[in-house]
Amino acid sequence: MIRVLIVDDHSIFRTGLRTDLGGELDVVGEAGDVDAAVAAIAELRPEVVLLDVHLPGGGGGGGAEVVRRSAALLGEVRFLALSVSDSAEDVVGVIRAGARGYITKASSGADVAAAVATVAAGDAVFSPRLAGFVLDAFGTAAGAPAVAVADDELDRLSAREQEVMRLIARGYAYKEVASHLYISIKTVETHVSAVLRKLQLSSRHELTAWALERRLL
Amino acid sequence: MTATHARPPLLRPRDVVLAGVAAALANHLRIPLPLIRAVLAGGTVVAILLGLAQALRLSGPNGAFAWSAFALLYLFLWALVPRQPATPDAPATRTVPVAVVLLGGATLLIGLLPVTWGFGTPLPFGAVEAAVLASGAVVWGAAADVRDPRWASSVPVVRAVAAGLLLLLAVILMGAAFIAGRPPVAVFAVVLALLGGAALVVPLVATRWAARSAERAAHARDEQRAEIAAHLHDSVLQTLAIIQNRAGAGSEVARIARAQERELRDWLFAGTDPFGADLATELRTFARELELEHAARIEVVTVGDVGAIESAALAGAAREALVNAARHAGGDVTVYAEATPEQVEVFVRDRGEGFEVDAVPAGRLGIRESIRGRMTRAGGSAVVSSGSDGTEVQLRLPRPVVGGGAS
Repeated sequence: MIRVLIVDDHSIFRTGLRTDLGGELDVVGEAGDVDAAVAAIAELRPEVVLLDVHLPGGGGGGGAEVVRRSAALLGEVRFLALSVSDSAEDVVGVIRAGARGYITKASSGADVAAAVATVAAGDAVFSPRLAGFVLDAFGTAAGAPAVAVADDELDRLSAREQEVMRLIARGYAYKEVASHLYISIKTVETHVSAVLRKLQLSSRHELTAWALERRLL
Repeated sequence: MTATHARPPLLRPRDVVLAGVAAALANHLRIPLPLIRAVLAGGTVVAILLGLAQALRLSGPNGAFAWSAFALLYLFLWALVPRQPATPDAPATRTVPVAVVLLGGATLLIGLLPVTWGFGTPLPFGAVEAAVLASGAVVWGAAADVRDPRWASSVPVVRAVAAGLLLLLAVILMGAAFIAGRPPVAVFAVVLALLGGAALVVPLVATRWAARSAERAAHARDEQRAEIAAHLHDSVLQTLAIIQNRAGAGSEVARIARAQERELRDWLFAGTDPFGADLATELRTFARELELEHAARIEVVTVGDVGAIESAALAGAAREALVNAARHAGGDVTVYAEATPEQVEVFVRDRGEGFEVDAVPAGRLGIRESIRGRMTRAGGSAVVSSGSDGTEVQLRLPRPVVGGGAS
């Protein structure tokens, strides 16, 4: 079973999630604020941290601060962001800090477990909304010359990556994306991970300024 | 009806020369207005002239007090006769600039001071009267003129002139008091100087104070609202998320919690949504309405400037597709709208059991007319694909080429 740490400042939510996940995941601990989370991660070394985007304590940086302060452990600990707000700044912020995916708190226990498994396997979890964020942030829809020619180009998505993102935004599961594009699930996961990497490393002005400018919900 | 008309009520009109007393009397007593004006004004003028003559020692006691009965009657009626009820389009206003007249009187009396100086009284005639008139002008401006659209702009000027007159009077009296050696006059002069200063400063301080407290109140309100929003965001939204989470998508409880969450979110973040009445807003609104009626959880994702799209055909077709998804499939429904410079696309995907698209009876207008027909007429297209893992409706509408090429 995958060892999971739940970080959320609401004990009701932690308890609920723990109950939901109890059968499928090994919940090794809980934390309610930034400092407690950083300490628990260093001590327990969970495989996956379910991390609330909004957290009290520390320097006021919330979930993103937890990820940044645990940067040394990013090789063995993976972060899956949970958010109730869907606000672009928060989500993009925590992803750029190093989280490997984002799901909403309204997701069912089964969905969370599946997302945790994906993240634990080293892949990325994109919700339709996050895929929409990415398409917007990389200016794909604006008609700019947005298609990356070389694979290592960080500021643009390749044509395939765009297709994958569009399908995810349309509500397709990875499996469905794979069959729609006649590629393997593994390839889909590779594309999504590549997009995640670009999202984290790109210096595109849009990624830093865009979320703040639009102040989307 | 008999020929006897009831007398009109004794009411002062709202648009008046001075106070509306003459007009009210004329109307009520059915006496020509000019006659009443002549009697009242004439009697008052005679009283003032006789009074002045007496004060300037041009005549002995001459009955000025008796003549002032007309002025007293006027003031009496002014105080006791009610005005006509206010109507929004007829603000109370008057023709005579009362404050200016009072200032004129004060100026005249100050000008007469050299004449009245030698009368032997401790204070020359006119000094107290001029001070009262100038102060009266300030009070009148603050109490009456500020609400009268005809004179409101003159209030600061009146205030400044009145203050100037009071200070001038104070300087004259002060000088005279030293020359003539009359200490009580000096005291009066100091009081006048203070009055003049107060006339200038008090309204400014009052205005500044009012602005400051209004600002402080607004700031406190904003802070409180932000605090409430943060609290609700942390507690209620979280709880609603937990309820949805525990109840499972598609259940009645989750549906209600979801609808509440959307409503609360809209209220909390009102004004920060960049979209107006456009496709993005319409899609979100449809989704919210449908979530109230059906056991469905609808996520709306928009990319590009969907907020700039206004297409009744696209919005109508998307609504129909959403209604079908919510009604027949329920559960999780995803709406994805993407706008590029060339086209707008809307995808509505559900997780229902699907149906045979070609097997839909001809009489069922939903897909055939409301979706395909609508899109075709608008110059776009609609594709419906359905399988065991759900149904997806794809709507595509080319955008008119904007002149000037790419921008």
